[in-house]
Amino acid sequence: MAKIILENIAHTYEPNASNPIFALKEMSLSWADGGRYALLGPSGCGKTTMLNIMSGLVNPSHGKVFFDERDVTSMITEERNIAQVFQFPVIYGTMTVFENLAFPLKCRQFPEDQIERKVKEVAEILNLQDYLNNRAKGLTADQKQLISLGRGLVREDVAAILMDEPLTVIDPDLKFRLRRKLKEINDKYKTTLIYVTHDQNEAMTFADNIIVMDQGEVVQAGSPKDLFERPQTTFVGYFIGSPAMNLYECSASSKNEISIGVNSFKVQTNINNSKSENLKLGIRSEYITVENEYSDNSLEADVIEVEDFGNYKLITASFDSFKIKAKVKRELDIPSEKVILKLPAEHCCIYEDNKLI
Amino acid sequence: MPKLYTFLKYFFVVLWACFVIAPFLWAISTSFKDFNSVTGGATYIPWLQFEPTLDGWSVLFKPGSQGGINIIGPYFNSIFVTLTASLISIVLGTLAAYALSRYTFKAGIVKNNDITFFFISQRIMPPVVLSIPFFIFLSSLGLLDSLAGLILVYIVLLMPIAVWIMVDFFNRVPREIDETALIDGCNPFQAFFKVVLPNSVPGMLVAGLFCIIFGWIDFFFAFILTFTKVQLLPVKIVALNSSITPWWSLSAAALVSVAPLIIVAFIVERYLSKGNLSGALK
Repeated sequence: MAKIILENIAHTYEPNASNPIFALKEMSLSWADGGRYALLGPSGCGKTTMLNIMSGLVNPSHGKVFFDERDVTSMITEERNIAQVFQFPVIYGTMTVFENLAFPLKCRQFPEDQIERKVKEVAEILNLQDYLNNRAKGLTADQKQLISLGRGLVREDVAAILMDEPLTVIDPDLKFRLRRKLKEINDKYKTTLIYVTHDQNEAMTFADNIIVMDQGEVVQAGSPKDLFERPQTTFVGYFIGSPAMNLYECSASSKNEISIGVNSFKVQTNINNSKSENLKLGIRSEYITVENEYSDNSLEADVIEVEDFGNYKLITASFDSFKIKAKVKRELDIPSEKVILKLPAEHCCIYEDNKLI
Repeated sequence: MPKLYTFLKYFFVVLWACFVIAPFLWAISTSFKDFNSVTGGATYIPWLQFEPTLDGWSVLFKPGSQGGINIIGPYFNSIFVTLTASLISIVLGTLAAYALSRYTFKAGIVKNNDITFFFISQRIMPPVVLSIPFFIFLSSLGLLDSLAGLILVYIVLLMPIAVWIMVDFFNRVPREIDETALIDGCNPFQAFFKVVLPNSVPGMLVAGLFCIIFGWIDFFFAFILTFTKVQLLPVKIVALNSSITPWWSLSAAALVSVAPLIIVAFIVERYLSKGNLSGALK
């Protein structure tokens, strides 16, 4: 186990091109030993490239990779002692389940008794103990993925376990149980887990720390709470949360006040120093409340749709030419035509050039 | 409708089976006939329509001094040359194909696909184009009329087949399996031998089958590169021909020469259809 540090890492798959496109733009990042991380971002944002750089499957075009103090940049994969689980199950079809799970230990010449003990322990965690003597090829897709996962878990001394959307092929119930199991493993063995996903719920429920990526850049790293309450960019605001953050172009009216069309709102951000024309107000639909009468920071909107999701209601309404979504308690009675919505100042985020100020 | 479909399905399968089996049955019956039975009109049922004789078969095993051609020596020569050349072609071809599938080669404008095409281009040329170079090549090495010379030439002819089939096979094997082996602690050679190769048996069996078929049936190079010391089966069988075509012994020879291919195809097909080797990945 080790602290993983990426120092000024950047990568392009076309190093000889005159104007190469970088899959990963220059960045520095560190992953604490024993941490539980999620790497979140849309497809093609560079998540897998970053994992492959850490595991040594890809040599970065620029920068260095350190495991603790050790520079591993030029070290080949087998020497890095890292585990990686891919999106689709990769099993050794000609081997049994036992042989599959034992393979990483055999390659590293662990003693037979230790291999047997460890394989049985991991098989039990993953509910594979009844299949140990079966050919891996004959199992179902989710069982195969459990084997892939198991091969990552048998080595206690790995620097980190990297998981590239590993639960895609697994059914929702088992997915939930496995995520919990992974958390338990992380608590028990203090193994660094890095979990790549494009599913925000998966990331939010799994990780202590979430790194959000977009177009080859890390746009925000923080706890699920930070990401939800204070998205550092409009991208994070839009990408995290369901529904996405309400975002409106606005202009500064005074030090703590902005205008959206004819409506003015107080905010807690000092916007006096803002020089950009590109100002946006962002507010989560969870923080918008339905009021009976006008007060500060409220507006009247035309109700377009009210959807009942069982545990909450989602109001979609419009004011001026803008749409607004509010998530409210299910018990609340929503007027069918006009509704007064309040945007609490403490939850209003102001973005200048798409960055939080 | 399902009944009609089943009927049609079986009808065409039986029709196709007859079409395939008929020449074999014809050859079997002809091999037990003599001159009069062959030339006296079509007959099918032994003992009733013609008197079976082993003359056609005995010629194949009698020495030349007794009017036979004795195919035993050439038969084993053919087996030895075909198996050795096929084996070497599969081994070298598999290694080459893996490299072409997994690593990027570039020399000027020449890239991986071009190299694969160079291999295949050996088979695009008519064999006669290669005959003189091969003759001169073997002559300069002192390998004309020798088993080693034939094996060398057959490797050149069979390896493109192996490379072609195996490149396509490896291209369909996900790279993740190699990468997983590297992550699990293998070096690139171990990843190939311990993980990729055991999973590549179906592809190698198919490539091997093709190599054996093409090696076994070659007449042209066996004819021009050997004289008296070494002979392969196809060349020896042609020696049966004389002013009167001996259909009975030619039929027997055809059956004897096709037998190993049927056995090989039968074994390979069993392995492939069992499904314990095919689709071993993912």
